[in-house]
Amino acid sequence: MNRTDPVADYGAELSSALRGPRRLKARMATDITDGFADTLAAHFAKGTSRADAVRAALREFGTPAEIARSCQRELTIAQARHTAGTLVVTVPLMIAGWRLVHSSANAHPWTLPFAVYPLIVAGGLATLLALLTLAATSRPSGEHPLTPLLPSVMAWTGTIASVAMILAATLLFLAAPLAANWPVIVVATVAAVAFHGLVAASARGCRDCAKLAALTA
Amino acid sequence: MRADAVRGHLDGLLLAVLEPGPLHGYAIITAVQRRSGGALELRTGTIYPALNRLERLGLLRSSWQNEGERRKRCYELTEAGKASLADERGAWREFTAAIGAVLDPRAARGEVT
Repeated sequence: MNRTDPVADYGAELSSALRGPRRLKARMATDITDGFADTLAAHFAKGTSRADAVRAALREFGTPAEIARSCQRELTIAQARHTAGTLVVTVPLMIAGWRLVHSSANAHPWTLPFAVYPLIVAGGLATLLALLTLAATSRPSGEHPLTPLLPSVMAWTGTIASVAMILAATLLFLAAPLAANWPVIVVATVAAVAFHGLVAASARGCRDCAKLAALTA
Repeated sequence: MRADAVRGHLDGLLLAVLEPGPLHGYAIITAVQRRSGGALELRTGTIYPALNRLERLGLLRSSWQNEGERRKRCYELTEAGKASLADERGAWREFTAAIGAVLDPRAARGEVT
């Protein structure tokens, strides 16, 4: 560790080791680095030499690698909750969009491909799993025994949902030129692509965190 | 006392030191060490993920507060946290009474050793 500013070095090393939702990661890194700064200041106040104070503070507080390992489980659960929250918002909006497309094409019901319906069922299941994940990870009575499995479940649910969203966007895009209600279909297609981006990014983060948590468990 | 022995009771320890009022991370660490007389061996940085977990479970809430020129994250008990602390205390008393009655039956009966 660079000896010029041990607190800044500690914060930088910790931040680079953590994986998870950006805001929580930044908050945890700031809070923990602040605690390390206080620990170091307490050793300086005893009149310990600079090098000894840094060594004693690291021994007492934990090195960035040790603390990052202990934080990763919480960050992984936070990432799973982030993916679940993204699914809970985007999937019902997608289904509402398809419903809008369908109702605006009542005169031409063939404009909505039948293949969209299995996607709606898959979306409903994904939303249900996401809601269960959010409920299981926020119980004041303690963590559900299945909590360690939930990041992987959300990672793959999010991945499948994001694939379904881009598939739905493609179907809608193909249907648009044939349909009288093409403006509505174009809006639904753009929304599906945007939701795919949000869900895919969150699911990718969830997969990375789940892998890391499995390695550090 | 070894870290792995402490770990199972960390939630209760953190909730207990926050009972009198809000504290920031380092003040929580020093409160745990002071109350235990320095007997608990614990990498003190590991309390931060535990604080985050308790906050996620709704037992704590936290906010940034200015302390001098620095901003510190302060943690405080929620109503659910107070209830959980009462449960932890009850469970601990039952546990120590049961184990104490086996390990040290004379003391458990109130006899002076």
